[in-house]
Amino acid sequence: MKLARDPNLDALCGEYLLGTLRGAARRRFERALREEPLVAARLRHWQGLAPRYSAMIETPPPASAWPRLERELGLSRYRTPWHRRVSLWRGWAIAATAAALLAVGLQIVPLKPTSSFAEIAQLSGPGDAARISAALSADRRTLELRATRPVLAGPSQSYELWLIPAEGGAPVSLAVLGSLDAKLALPAAQAARLTRGAKLAVSVEPAGGSPTGAPTGPVLFAGAIEV
Amino acid sequence: MRSDADIKRLLLATAARGEGAAEAFEGLYKACSPLLFGIAQRIVRRRELAEEVLHDGFTRIWAAAGRFDPLAEQPVAWMAAIVRNRALDLMASHDVSRVDSYPEEDELDRLFDWSPAADDSVDAGRASRWLRDCLGELRPQERQALVLAYDRGMSHSDLAAHLAQPLGTVKTWVRRGLANLRSCVEECMGAVR
Repeated sequence: MKLARDPNLDALCGEYLLGTLRGAARRRFERALREEPLVAARLRHWQGLAPRYSAMIETPPPASAWPRLERELGLSRYRTPWHRRVSLWRGWAIAATAAALLAVGLQIVPLKPTSSFAEIAQLSGPGDAARISAALSADRRTLELRATRPVLAGPSQSYELWLIPAEGGAPVSLAVLGSLDAKLALPAAQAARLTRGAKLAVSVEPAGGSPTGAPTGPVLFAGAIEV
Repeated sequence: MRSDADIKRLLLATAARGEGAAEAFEGLYKACSPLLFGIAQRIVRRRELAEEVLHDGFTRIWAAAGRFDPLAEQPVAWMAAIVRNRALDLMASHDVSRVDSYPEEDELDRLFDWSPAADDSVDAGRASRWLRDCLGELRPQERQALVLAYDRGMSHSDLAAHLAQPLGTVKTWVRRGLANLRSCVEECMGAVR
């Protein structure tokens, strides 16, 4: 029998919305909702009258709830690929960085890589003046970062340096940094990937680095390796 | 809480499953999870069960976002219905005792926001006022049964136990309460046409 012609349709909609329609009766109603457009339309009519909950009943869920959802639903697949965001970062990184840049003052540190280092990339950041020069030592074992302005991470965040391989693929973490003036020893496997066409980028992460192994925060600086 | 228009945009971007769908879903979660968690907790009464309900609810929202009809449905009500249904299912499969007292006084106005939302249509704003007025006109026992069922997810037998009344009596209260509410609201609608 079609539920749409049932004289009790409105009463069933009411008990369904109220929650007192249970068990087999509820399953029957839900099947009719899927199969009979008139039933669905009638329910929507009454649903439109349901009261709006007050903000007073809001209760923040535990912080662990979102990471669990994200993991179980495999949401990382649906994130905007990070290497595509590199060229677009400007719009959304400025707010995140402005505070950090202002907080540490505006003195300019001249870019002067030491003689045994050769610059391989310029990473541009928010505003024309903010740049990082990345230089590689002659033996390719040490990477030196020098920022045009000293930028220190806040107590609850770190910077993370990423390599996006020239052949594409997921970003590889090179280092977690507290300051954007840093010297870091490179594992040989990573040094070999610092080739022309690869990109370097710096993102903001929770203190200690990305919890997922992939960038999670805004990208502040990015640039391609030129040599 | 963001506006309904924002929530709709996020739901549609989630449904599209394109690049940025995860960011949209995260925005949806940030905007709506406190309300939905509050709703779940009011029904299941235990925090760890409410966490399960929220998790399952958002899993369903992610899966069903493509079936959300932006022209016909209020986005928050749509998500709230998913979470409520999940909470009711869970209550049916768990034997959760309900011994908590329930303050009746002013509950309707603490629980619901009767003022029209910024982006409500004139009709929706009016309907919300009608519903509040019509609830006020119900017999007290009918109103109490409806509020307990809606807010706390009580079944007929929960209501009978909670209100210390025979099952048949609370079923009648619920049925009559809904019927009176419906005819009162329909009268208000008819009066403005």
